[in-house]
This record gives sequence, C-alpha cells and structure tokens, in this order.
Amino acid sequence: MENGIEMKNRIKVYRAMHDLTQEGLANELGVTRQTILAIEKGKYDPSLDLAFKIARFFGVAIEEIFLYGDTAERK
Amino acid sequence: MKRNTFYLLAGIVALAEVGIFWLSVELERPILIQVAFVLGVLLIYLARRRVEERIEDERTAMITQKAALRTLEVFWVVFFGVSLGSAVVAFSRPLGLRPPHPGPPNMAPVDVLELPFVGGFALFQMALLCLMIFLYVGFRMYYARKYGEWDRDEEQD
Repeated sequence: MENGIEMKNRIKVYRAMHDLTQEGLANELGVTRQTILAIEKGKYDPSLDLAFKIARFFGVAIEEIFLYGDTAERK
Repeated sequence: MKRNTFYLLAGIVALAEVGIFWLSVELERPILIQVAFVLGVLLIYLARRRVEERIEDERTAMITQKAALRTLEVFWVVFFGVSLGSAVVAFSRPLGLRPPHPGPPNMAPVDVLELPFVGGFALFQMALLCLMIFLYVGFRMYYARKYGEWDRDEEQD
C-alpha cells in the first residue's frame, strides 16, 4: 500500500481451493514463502509480473485475484 | 548448499579475516589483509549463489534497495560533513596552495602527511564504514519488518 490505496487479494481463497500451502505456491512461483504471506496480509503489493504469474497459475484473470481500491469495496 | 551451511561458511570466513588482520599487523604487511578481504567477499558471493533454498526474490530485492538508498542518503551527509572538517584541517596546513607560515630560518620543512596521521585517518574511515554498516542493518530491519519478513501465520503455528 505505497500510495494510500489499499489493494486486496484473494490468494488465500484460491490457495485453499487448490489445496496449496504458502510454501507450495511460493515454490511454484519462484518466490519465498514470506513473500506469499506478505502479499496475503496486504503488507506487500507484488510486481505486475508476479501478479500475472499468480493469476495464470490459478487459471483466472488478474482482476479475480487482485482487487484495487474501490473495486475491492464493491465486491 | 543449505542455507545454514552458507551462514556457517560466512562465519568461518569472518573469523579467518580477523586472524589474517592480526597476522597482517604482526608482519607489517597491509597487502595480506587487503587481498584476503577481497577474496573473502568473493568467496561469500560465490557461496551465496550456490544456496539451494530461495532466499531472494522481488520483495527481498526491494527491501535491500530501499535500505541501501536510505543508508546512502544519510551516510553521504555525515561523510560530507566530516570531510569538510578534514578539508579545513588540510587547508590550514602548508599544502603548496598557499605559502607556509614563516618559521625559524634554519628549520626543516614539516612533512604534510606524517604516518601516524595517515593511520589515524584510516581508523577514522573504518569507524565511518562501521557506522554505514549499522545504518544499513537498521534500515534493513525497518523495511524487513514493514514488508512482513518476520510475520507468522497459522501455517507456522
């Protein structure tokens, strides 16, 4: 949340749907487990590259996983 | 290589560097520690690349970048301030930029850079570098905490 607008995400939900641990997802994406945890907790906003990787891994559009600002409130 | 093996190796290299520094002082050979230090850093860099577990990604790279930038921002002010003081001391002595103060008629010219002065300056530089390391570690801890480095969740509990 660098610019004050909160970005929410549903990685935890998708992880549960795919029965994946943070470690498992991290290994699949080539990042550390702490990075997955930080993204889930909203402490770190991933790069566009990593965001697309996450969306493609779960086979959904990026907007399904990452909800930006007011979009997050409407959903 | 496991991550713990890497940390162990880094510790051994650090101890070896301390030993070589002592040896270098005993033998009065500065080149010994200078070469050993560069080799030690190279060894640690090479070993780090062989660590199997992933310890770096875009988040850790960002933490490193932010900490380094903040360190530089603070450090250059301190370093420049200290250097200004040193410049005043240097320009107060005869450096060839202005005529020396007239001394007694048969007095020999004073050496501008005497060896103890150089040694003292080296120690002072090292103290400043230590300050830089402390600053970096402090900023790194701050950003690591900010970006969830030590957060825990139900998977770890």
